Amino acid sequence: MIVGKTRIQLEARLTSPRWLIVAVPVLSVLLASVVGGVFLLLTGHPPLRTYGDLLNNGYTSFYGLTDTLGLATPLICTGMAAAFAFRMNLYNIGQEGQLYLGMVGGAWAGIALAPHLTPFIAVPVVLVTGALFGAAWVLVPALLRARLGTSEIVSTLLLNYVALNLINYFIFGSRGFFRDPSTPFPQGRMIYESARFGAFGTTNTYPTLLISMFLAVFLFWFVRSSNYGYETSVFADSPSTARYAGMNSTWLTTSVLLVSGSLAGLGGAMYVVGPAGKVDPGLLQIGLGYAGIVVAALARYNFVAVILTAILFAGLRVGGSALQASSDPVPIAIAVVLQGAVLLFALGGELFRRNRVVITRVIESHQVMVGEVS
Amino acid sequence: MKKSKLSIFAFSLAAALGVAACGGSDAASDTTSAPAETTAPAETTAPGPDYSNLKVAVVYIGVPGDAGYTYQHDQGIAGLEAALGIEVTRLENIPEGAESTATFDKLARDGYNLIFGTSFGYMDPMLETAGKYPNVCFQHGTGYKTAANLGTYFGAAEEARYLSGIAAGAATKNGKLGYVAAFPIPEVVRGINAFTLGVRSVNPKATVQVSWTSTWFDPAKEKEAAQSLLQAGADVLGMHQDSTATGEAAKEAGAKWVGYNSDTLAGNFPDTWLTAPIWDWAPYYTQAAMAVAGGSCPAGDAGQYYGNMKDGTVKLGVFGTSVSAETQALIATKAAAIIDGSFAPFTGPIKDNAGKEQIAAGVVAPLGDLLGQMYFVEGVIGSTKG
Repeated sequence: MIVGKTRIQLEARLTSPRWLIVAVPVLSVLLASVVGGVFLLLTGHPPLRTYGDLLNNGYTSFYGLTDTLGLATPLICTGMAAAFAFRMNLYNIGQEGQLYLGMVGGAWAGIALAPHLTPFIAVPVVLVTGALFGAAWVLVPALLRARLGTSEIVSTLLLNYVALNLINYFIFGSRGFFRDPSTPFPQGRMIYESARFGAFGTTNTYPTLLISMFLAVFLFWFVRSSNYGYETSVFADSPSTARYAGMNSTWLTTSVLLVSGSLAGLGGAMYVVGPAGKVDPGLLQIGLGYAGIVVAALARYNFVAVILTAILFAGLRVGGSALQASSDPVPIAIAVVLQGAVLLFALGGELFRRNRVVITRVIESHQVMVGEVS
Repeated sequence: MKKSKLSIFAFSLAAALGVAACGGSDAASDTTSAPAETTAPAETTAPGPDYSNLKVAVVYIGVPGDAGYTYQHDQGIAGLEAALGIEVTRLENIPEGAESTATFDKLARDGYNLIFGTSFGYMDPMLETAGKYPNVCFQHGTGYKTAANLGTYFGAAEEARYLSGIAAGAATKNGKLGYVAAFPIPEVVRGINAFTLGVRSVNPKATVQVSWTSTWFDPAKEKEAAQSLLQAGADVLGMHQDSTATGEAAKEAGAKWVGYNSDTLAGNFPDTWLTAPIWDWAPYYTQAAMAVAGGSCPAGDAGQYYGNMKDGTVKLGVFGTSVSAETQALIATKAAAIIDGSFAPFTGPIKDNAGKEQIAAGVVAPLGDLLGQMYFVEGVIGSTKG
């Protein structure tokens, strides 16, 4: 870009200074708050009070935080699912569908298997079944990608719509297995109580949160320390180098996508074990699968950071919609604008972490003077 | 590579926010709306009781701008506000399902003592929250589960559906009607049946073909379903959806149609609009709020409010210009009979569309049977299995 006699360019950084990793997100959120604040002023809402309400409802009050953690629980799973695939340049954007299938698998296990199991293992069986269903939903795109090089972006995305219609069919279109047989109303059939977790006290946080967080920490360690993690990193940097080194690209591609699908499926099963207890079409309305992609991107595919960005995202949702009930009600549309500003700036900030801004003064056509601004 | 990554981020961000913004099945559609008539009950306008102890909130799945389902509820809430002189907190675009528990919990914790939820999918979350906060009165629209502090509310749209069917039956030339329907659940099935009974009361050979959309609100899909019915030969359409897309399709084809929920957009269809079954929630909302102000909560088995034409919750909307004076007079007679109780649409003999008798001659179907009705009456072409 050339402004007068100054040329502004972006130049890729070879290394990012450590302070930038903290400064960029903090500055992004601050800038987003300023932009959102202007917007709030223009619509007649005092920004400071609105932000105070948002923080209180989403993060700092006890119930605000526990509501946020409840929403973040499956979001950590879909965030990990996206991160696991994206870090190998495999763009599985089918978390939404895999999440639904995890819900279906979990509900199936909770209804069909749970009565034959001791309570102690019923919950793990439901969670594992959900994960397997999620993996199964990405199996075909994974094989197509690994064997034929078919774009997994398109195939996983399209399967989201298939999954959505499948859930609608199970609940609204059929009188089948997943539907509550005791009423003509369209309701999911409840799984056995033995296969469910209760919430902590009167909160909406479930013990599944601890499983999500543990898995995130485990994966953080796993991709850094295991041979498999090393191979996926090499493959991500250069598939040809990986092949030259004797790594099996078909296996790596397929297995990474399957793990990704199973993580999203696990999120769906957690929804069944925790708050829903059934195949619940309400899950189709909150977009936790697509949100997982944003969460992973904000976390720069770092699994521990996924925990934090999932909480950030969930808190914006919880706090944002609660603004409608504050002393100075803020319409939901404005709350969504605030959420969007924070996320957009945080993602945009990445550009400045990865690149530096180089300002060049054009003195004459062939002589340049270089100045640098980070 | 970097570029493609960024575009994926942008896409997913847009998708995630999009879901957040219009996650409801009743999201905004056409907002060119004229204010609908809202009649607050006259007896409540007199100065007197103090309602300052009331703190009321309502949770919507969509936004009032849908000019349909949520719009009519919002009109009802406005009626409550005007009648009692209080302000009601409105929460819009709250998705259904387990995550909405947090929303109801928060309202209960914030000291609201009367909380309405307008969508079916809030049922289990409201039941759960009601258990946690026994001193708060919860009212759930369109559901069937109750508790000591959880009541339900809905109404006999089938009464006005039947009347709108008379207008449709009088309007058809070839005796072939179409019906764009959301989901095969009792509420929708009952509406199709009442409509068909109305059609056949004036046009005994007429048929009503059903097209399922599997969505409450998706104008493109609704329009597509309407067009396929028109192509199959239907010359009058009915519908059970949140948007007016069926009417758009009918207008393009020059066919007549019957709306639903609201008649605010009737003016957009000068030649093709017949009429519509519409809701007026103001009397119910006002009455529930007055009960809570008086220290009682309409809940449990006794708290299952089912409004009708008699109490004014259900109405027939304005007539289009093509509805003859004769038809309007016939409908007025039937409406009077429904209101004074001398006539009910579901009076036997009624056969299902496989020829089996479902309601014996002279029998008026009890409400309980209607609420679970899952067969189509004679004259409907389609299956209740979707």
